[in-house]
Amino acid sequence: MARRLTLWRWVVLGLAALYFLVPLGASVVFTVDVPGHGITFDAYSKILSTEGFVSSLLLSLELAVTTIAVVLLLMVPAAVALRLGAPRLRPVVEVVCSLPLVVPPIAFVAGIVSVLKWGPEHLSRTPLFQTFVAIQDPDFPVVLVLAYVVMALPFVYRALDAGLRAIDVRTLVEAARSCGASLPQALVRAVLPNLRGALLNAAFLTLALVLGEFTVAQLLGFCPFAVWIYNIGGSQAQMSVAVSVLSLLVTWALLLALAGAGGGRSRTAPPRG
Amino acid sequence: MTAALPRADVAPVASAKRRRRAPGWLAVVPLLVFTAIAFGLPAVAIVDGAFTVKDATTGAASYTGANLTASLQGPYLTALLGSVKLSAISAALGVLLGLPLAQAVVSSRSRALREAVLTASGVLANFGGVPLAFAFVATLGNAGVLTVHLGLKDSGWDLYSFWGLVLVYLYFLVPLMVLTITPALDGLRTQWREAALNNGATGVQYWRHVALPVLAPSLLGGLVLLFGSAFAAYATAAAMVGSAVPLVTLQIADALSGNVLVGQENVALALSLDMVLVAGLVMAVYLPLQRRSARWLDA
Amino acid sequence: MTHTMTATTLEKAVSEQAATVEFRSLRREFGSTVALDGLDLTVRPGEFLALLGPSGCGKTTALRMLAGFEHPDSGAVLVDGEDVTHVPAHRRDAGMVFQSYSLFPHLNAVDNVAFGLRMRKVRTAERRSRAAELLELVGLGDKAERYPHQLSGGQQQRIALARALALRPRVLLLDEPLSALDAKVRLSLREEIRRLQQELGITTLFVTHDQEEALSVADRVAVMRAGRLEQCAGPAELYGRPATAFVAEFVGTMSRIPGELEDGTVQVLGQRLPADGEVPDGAVDVLVRPEAVRVHADEQGSARVVATAFLGAVVRVTVRLADGTEAKADLPAHEAAGLGAGSPVGVSLPERAVLVAERIQK
Repeated sequence: MARRLTLWRWVVLGLAALYFLVPLGASVVFTVDVPGHGITFDAYSKILSTEGFVSSLLLSLELAVTTIAVVLLLMVPAAVALRLGAPRLRPVVEVVCSLPLVVPPIAFVAGIVSVLKWGPEHLSRTPLFQTFVAIQDPDFPVVLVLAYVVMALPFVYRALDAGLRAIDVRTLVEAARSCGASLPQALVRAVLPNLRGALLNAAFLTLALVLGEFTVAQLLGFCPFAVWIYNIGGSQAQMSVAVSVLSLLVTWALLLALAGAGGGRSRTAPPRG
Repeated sequence: MTAALPRADVAPVASAKRRRRAPGWLAVVPLLVFTAIAFGLPAVAIVDGAFTVKDATTGAASYTGANLTASLQGPYLTALLGSVKLSAISAALGVLLGLPLAQAVVSSRSRALREAVLTASGVLANFGGVPLAFAFVATLGNAGVLTVHLGLKDSGWDLYSFWGLVLVYLYFLVPLMVLTITPALDGLRTQWREAALNNGATGVQYWRHVALPVLAPSLLGGLVLLFGSAFAAYATAAAMVGSAVPLVTLQIADALSGNVLVGQENVALALSLDMVLVAGLVMAVYLPLQRRSARWLDA
Repeated sequence: MTHTMTATTLEKAVSEQAATVEFRSLRREFGSTVALDGLDLTVRPGEFLALLGPSGCGKTTALRMLAGFEHPDSGAVLVDGEDVTHVPAHRRDAGMVFQSYSLFPHLNAVDNVAFGLRMRKVRTAERRSRAAELLELVGLGDKAERYPHQLSGGQQQRIALARALALRPRVLLLDEPLSALDAKVRLSLREEIRRLQQELGITTLFVTHDQEEALSVADRVAVMRAGRLEQCAGPAELYGRPATAFVAEFVGTMSRIPGELEDGTVQVLGQRLPADGEVPDGAVDVLVRPEAVRVHADEQGSARVVATAFLGAVVRVTVRLADGTEAKADLPAHEAAGLGAGSPVGVSLPERAVLVAERIQK
């Protein structure tokens, strides 16, 4: 009976491995075995020199770093404050941070598009109009940061909340204060270091979200990394697949780093598709 | 609050307390203001736009339910139903395939296997979007490696179809299911299995009468989560099928980018509102299930 | 796999005739650790036997072998003389109560109890009435519709007990059923388990690491150590005449006082006493219970009081002897009144045989 169980398990795992590994393997074959050219590594060697690769990747990274900074600056004080001084606001924040889950990215971007239209339609004579223009600067579209922060809120909130639950913030602060620390000192010296795992977790989830985000960026007409892959897909199929494979490996490395660095358990990064 | 050491003078303590409570509220304010603007405005715009019709000649706007009615008719209704069907089928398959996979991992004693599969699931569950579509195009598309080498074309295979999309969606839905259900499977106590055997149940009876009923809320919760994830997916479908398969996300994108008739933005917003309602429904089903399963499995 | 034992059905009045359980040279290794190292033990019909020992001594493994959850590398488990070693767990005739959290969370109390009857396709009305009967038996007739999360730990364990009895098993297995409960509930539940067991006359194995628990409820206590049986005897004998030093120190409190063994008598604390125990002559430790140690104030005494602890009727006095070893003595509260820490005292033993063991160098 035990042997039958083991057999069953290996069949399941084998089939799963087949389904998940074949597309990856086939993708690699696809990129190096070009019909008419034989085996070639052009698709990989030419990536760097292809137009738009560096700029789109840099744009994505800049967006990611900014988004991480903004979302942590907004969420960390709020999450700590909920534990310390304002527990009654907790349900409010919880609802606010869950709402983005109810609005799919495509619906969200539809809303953003119509908000951005208010600019030219109603505000063209006011100083606000300049703001509308500024946030849509293609070199650094602030509007994407705004959108990504909103989309990251649920995951960041969950990661931070899990981290804060594991440590007793109130006792930590009280212990630090009874040792003579001021409140800011207590927060910076006692609470934040204990939150490092949760912060790393939140940062990596956000990074993964921003690097892979396609829907909002494409429909607003910007060209970060995911949109760039999509755009070259039509003309340079081999290279687009090569970059896809590489981006998978990068995501993999990031998540492994996350598992190693933070020991974090929340692997459910934002689903997208 | 901080430990209040006994003090003779009461007033300073009270004032100190007040001074300390203020930052508590203040720290939450930026978050609320930010979401009010960055999330609230688009949300209002969706609702407002969904109920507004603009007269093309005069530019006068009026409130009406016409957009919503339009969004539930003709090609839009087809797309909405197509999305629901695609999401429902791939979510159901994701649950059916993810459960045995997760159980195979959980029941294995090897920690390494467990860590490897869970980390891989974490990667693959997030491997949606454009890269996923391209990987499948390279594998099973018209010029895909397997299509060519196995001659699938002749047997009628077409990746750019409903079932092709299901196959691709499962690539991130099954790992998502594994991640969702693993904690629940971990929560199944060995005592339950042993108590069932001790009470004369066979292995099959244990699964039918104990394990599956106990897992039911988690399984349903997973189904709902997968449905929501598939329903909201846009990038994969956009990069793969264009508009060969009617999906509501593709319709919204078309309407937004003006690929179809001009002036359809408000119908796009109405469709968005439809999606929000479906997603809201999904959450409304998911949260109570989640709570119930937590009560059973973490007790 | 047809075993006649498994042919027993609910309807057969099994519990009328209590079963004998035999463990025969059971051996089991988990990797490099030996859980059972040749365990031999016989449980008499209708007996309440406690398996006592420190964690990792193999007591739970032995119990789980009887339930069919573990399988021995060698040796056999017999019930009423019949080898059940290879009978699968779901066809053994042994009801088990687990440490905790074993109730099915999606079923209410009565359905939990009736679970086994449902597995055997007993009709709904019949199994509900039998389950209700059992709930009455454990004093929870009014909680039939409650779900496990609505019940206290003690109530959950009572229902687990009712569930274990539902199929009228020939043996009842209790795997530390009280260890997750708080002290007061633990006390009342163990009395109730004992009462029920006597009423039903069912052969019962009770695994515990709590020696007080074992001594207070069991007919006999089997002390285990490192996968082997050290001693199996009634509580009084186990306490008064422990067969080995391990049993002596594991059951109750023991002090070791150095002595010199010669020709069956031992020189200790200036006294010469007859000695029990298979130890070669020479330096030995004398094992004494605190109630057997006498302590009296003595200005000339070479021992000093180190600490006193008030235990109600008695005061436990810890004294340091001249050579530095410590011994514990229980004195009536009035005798201990004058003995503060540091007081010089004299220590003596009653004139009767003492247990000796090999000297442990400290």
